[in-house]
Amino acid sequence: MYDKFIPTAADYVRFAPEILLTVFGTLIMLIEAGRKEDQRRPYGILSLIALAGAIYLAFPAYNNAGPAFQGMLIVDGFGTFFRVLCYVAAALAVLCSGQYLSREKADSGEYYSLILFSVVGQGVMVTANELLMVFIGLEISSIATYVLAGFLRDDQRNNESALKYFLLGSFATAFLLYGIAWIYGLTGSTDLSLIRAALGSANPPNVILTGTAAALMFVGLAFKVSAFPFQIWTPDVYQGAPAPVSAFMSAGPKAAAFAILVRIFMTAFEPIAARWEPILWVTALATMVVGNFAALAQVNIKRLLAYSSIAHAGYILVAITAQSQIGISAVMFYLAAYTFMNVGAFAAVTHLAGKDEKYVNIEDLAGLGQRQPVTAALLSVFLLSLIGVPLTGGFFGKFYIFKAALDSNLVWLTVLGLLNSAVAAYYYLRVLVVMYMQDASAEVPAPKPVSGGILVALVGSAVATVILGVFPSVILNFAGKSGTLNP
Amino acid sequence: MLDTFFFYAFALLTVAGAALAVTMRSAVHCAVWLIASLLGTAGLFLMQQAEFLFAAQIVLYVGGIMVLFLFVIMLVNLEAAARERQMRKRWPIALAGVLLLAAGLARSLEEGIRLPAPRPAPEAAAGNVQQIATVLFGEYLLPFEVASVLLLVAIVGAIVMAQREDAR
Amino acid sequence: MNLLDFVLFAPAAAFVIALLIPRNNPGLSRMFTLGASLVIFLASLLLIGGVSAAPREFRFVTDFQWIQSPNIRYHIGLDGLSLWLVVLTTMLTPIAALISWTYIDQRVKEFYAFLLLLEFGVIGVFVSLDLFLFFVFWEVSLVPMYFLVGIWGHERRIYAAVKFFLYTMVGSMMMLASMIWLYGKAGSFDYGIILDGLRTGKIALTSTEQLLLFLGFFLAFAIKVPLFPLHTWLPDAHVEAPTAGSVMLASVMLKMGTYGLVRYNLPLFPQASRDSAPWIVSLAIIGIIYGALVAMVQPNMKKLVAYSSVSHLGFVVLGIFSFTQQGLDGAVYQMLNHGVSTGALFILVGYLYERRHSLEISSYGGVATLAPWLSTVFLLTTFASIGLPTLNNFVGEFLVLQGAAKANFSWAVFAAIGVILSACYMLWMYQRAFLGRAGESLAHHMHDLSPREWAAILPLVALMIWMGVYSQSFLPPVSAQNAQILEQTKRNVDFRVSNHAIQELGNVR
Repeated sequence: MYDKFIPTAADYVRFAPEILLTVFGTLIMLIEAGRKEDQRRPYGILSLIALAGAIYLAFPAYNNAGPAFQGMLIVDGFGTFFRVLCYVAAALAVLCSGQYLSREKADSGEYYSLILFSVVGQGVMVTANELLMVFIGLEISSIATYVLAGFLRDDQRNNESALKYFLLGSFATAFLLYGIAWIYGLTGSTDLSLIRAALGSANPPNVILTGTAAALMFVGLAFKVSAFPFQIWTPDVYQGAPAPVSAFMSAGPKAAAFAILVRIFMTAFEPIAARWEPILWVTALATMVVGNFAALAQVNIKRLLAYSSIAHAGYILVAITAQSQIGISAVMFYLAAYTFMNVGAFAAVTHLAGKDEKYVNIEDLAGLGQRQPVTAALLSVFLLSLIGVPLTGGFFGKFYIFKAALDSNLVWLTVLGLLNSAVAAYYYLRVLVVMYMQDASAEVPAPKPVSGGILVALVGSAVATVILGVFPSVILNFAGKSGTLNP
Repeated sequence: MLDTFFFYAFALLTVAGAALAVTMRSAVHCAVWLIASLLGTAGLFLMQQAEFLFAAQIVLYVGGIMVLFLFVIMLVNLEAAARERQMRKRWPIALAGVLLLAAGLARSLEEGIRLPAPRPAPEAAAGNVQQIATVLFGEYLLPFEVASVLLLVAIVGAIVMAQREDAR
Repeated sequence: MNLLDFVLFAPAAAFVIALLIPRNNPGLSRMFTLGASLVIFLASLLLIGGVSAAPREFRFVTDFQWIQSPNIRYHIGLDGLSLWLVVLTTMLTPIAALISWTYIDQRVKEFYAFLLLLEFGVIGVFVSLDLFLFFVFWEVSLVPMYFLVGIWGHERRIYAAVKFFLYTMVGSMMMLASMIWLYGKAGSFDYGIILDGLRTGKIALTSTEQLLLFLGFFLAFAIKVPLFPLHTWLPDAHVEAPTAGSVMLASVMLKMGTYGLVRYNLPLFPQASRDSAPWIVSLAIIGIIYGALVAMVQPNMKKLVAYSSVSHLGFVVLGIFSFTQQGLDGAVYQMLNHGVSTGALFILVGYLYERRHSLEISSYGGVATLAPWLSTVFLLTTFASIGLPTLNNFVGEFLVLQGAAKANFSWAVFAAIGVILSACYMLWMYQRAFLGRAGESLAHHMHDLSPREWAAILPLVALMIWMGVYSQSFLPPVSAQNAQILEQTKRNVDFRVSNHAIQELGNVR
């Protein structure tokens, strides 16, 4: 049964991006160790090179699509899409980090290698075809993110944020692991295709037990995507963590968690879809409602974006509830659009927050439209996209999601979701109001003009947001093609 | 029959040990109860004829990690922490949550009482340790290797968190 | 790239250029916007000939695939219904630029840029022949108006802007849901294809479905119109907006709602439209009378004009849902009239505000002795708004009342009350503000119209007279297109009825 297994070249090609990232992550730490006191730190550039290389390597991997390492991984369109998305999110976060870290005097190699390792974890997650791989990838990604959230050790909020994230996160992972154990006990396998085969066979294991196992795993994943009622950590952690880390957390790990949520529930658990659909329906609605209504009352912009990210998780869950190929494509497109608009918004916050993140209240943005027209305009693009105004990626994302939902006859969920997005407009508008319609207060010093990495990140995200809004086909065609998980 | 008895004994040890590890006030007591819980798990492994896991559990967790734990506890002044009331007023809610979850799981187990017949343990053609080795370095080679990244991240994280402000 | 593409995209291009103009050169921003919008206006005049020749068909059509899946097309065209609305938009933009010349003295560059973006969005709404494209423009036009009100408005501008945005947003979300549902049935967002499918029965909607879809669209349009009781955002937005914002809002943006009713609700959902007509007409009549009564007690001029808009647009809705040729013609004509005369009213109120910095009627009085020309023009506009014969509103109101009487005589009776009331509140305001003795303080501020102000108001005054005296210059293309829409609504209903009969016949056999 267990023949000698020798990995082939194809296996390595399919796994090459993660190998490259691991090598660079280790390299950065070695350079840091051997660095002389007065030498410059080239880590940002190195990380960008690594991420660019990983993106580049993802394409030969895709051209060689197929399972790798005895079915542990599967490189398909879906996995490749999310892989590249996570790399891009990390690259944007790295671009924002340089200035932030030197401002907080916390520049060090570990930060960048942790980001790279975290991305390795996400890469493993999204291409995993095996629950064990999912788990290991999730842990790599999570642990790196826990540490990043508390990276500014001297900062009280950072510490609190990291600790909270760590404790609750470990708790959630335990649920996931427990669910995996149940599934293994019931089906005798951790391979997604084999689980699916077992659950869909003529003589499936008891459906209540498998339902419970699925529910346990859902708890673990719902925590990671901050779905109701496991969203409580999100605002505290996003607020406490360094701004570029919040940007990263809200995009990369979240996208990866959604990817495995979709992959597990749409492949392994598809045969018992009738059991989990109502749960997902309720969760999706509750997540949207909680996120949007809680966001209405926020004064801190990082918390506002955190609640908004909860609400957006709700929209994405709507698409998953649709359980269809276009639902999956909608998830993919939405997460791409969401990554750019959300990371962009956080990048703007990173720039505007000032040393020690003193100015993170919405009121502190007063008069930004005149003080810094470029930053204000770019932030407006992201906010309009988050609202879902046409000609931005956010609009098309929402459109595809609700189209998928209506195609699956989820009329009520669609109507309630759309009303929710009208509510959401209110709190995003408030930021626009403050930026453009109120005069700057004397207490907040005018921020420096945006420059360097943050400028690149801001402009890049804004351009991507608009391109996704005007020519969504660039991503949509690929997403549509890759929406089939069960060939 | 004897099997069943031992199963429940070990299970009780595991669960009760875990519960006490969380609720005891003194850090040393917590660590000791955690050892008990881990020993219970080791016993369960043994009943599954997983000798290797049994040994690894005892050597690594009980012998290695827990001893380190105790070292740390002894070295660091935890008296202040011990005086704090550990579970605030929320504990009834937590207890209710746990009971609810337990009830749910029990219910689902009862519903699904017709568990699949236990598969016979794989023929011990080779020894248990050898079998694990074949699986680990064959089918599960990649997870095994990738786990090294996980450990690396954990180490880096520990260093970052431990490195106090005086380091710079 | 035909003429219509140019008229549509020239404002967008001008918007981008306007953004590139240096901040410290407001004069250039003003000149550029005025020049660009005048060029666009002249170009749009060239459209008239092309459409008038065959008003029943869509002319200047451009149609190509924008997004493959879902099937979304860039499909635009112009017919007798949309022609005048486009021309009205292109005409009012340079006027709005002119009246803001000195009124807007802060952040001039952004103001003019948003004005151009607004023009782009509104023209897009009127020329889109793809439902999705229509929705995109519908929302795009929202953003610049939000900023126009919110940045350059009066004290409560933020409240008004947010209210305006949210009201419209709720409506458009429901419209979006209906559109997606319709797409699920038709496999296309194309107006022509959907209309055809409904006509031939290829797209079958149950009557509940039709009603729900109708309501989805209707809610969005009714909020925009605004129809009583969804009108509450309008007075706020009007009062707080800068003059140019009020003008564009009243004259052009409200027409997006009534245009949507005629273009989409009637032909696409004829049965539901006819079934719900009595309810909607009731709301419209309540709006006519309620708007007039509330206008009568307003101490604030802008608010008065705003409520008069509610009343006037009630007429438009009444005309549309009378399902008669006259009613529909009158409604469309009234859209244009309202655009011209209410636009002029807002401009004149803006002139007063620039002089006295007050919108309260009580702070004026005796203006006629100080600024005779301003008062004369104001009086003429007041007459037009009341609906005096030989002025534009008379034609529209007459046609609407005629159509309403044909459909149901009591509707016409109630609506006529609104006409009488409008004479009361308008004349009363005129009397209080312009007649009598001028106060001391007023004399310092009140100078007569400047050449720039003349240039902005004169075209509108000329149009009021022209449209009142010789409506034949404008009505034929509108009429032709309305006849077709009426035919479509009848045909769709007939088809369904006959289809039904056949089914029943089958059951009997």
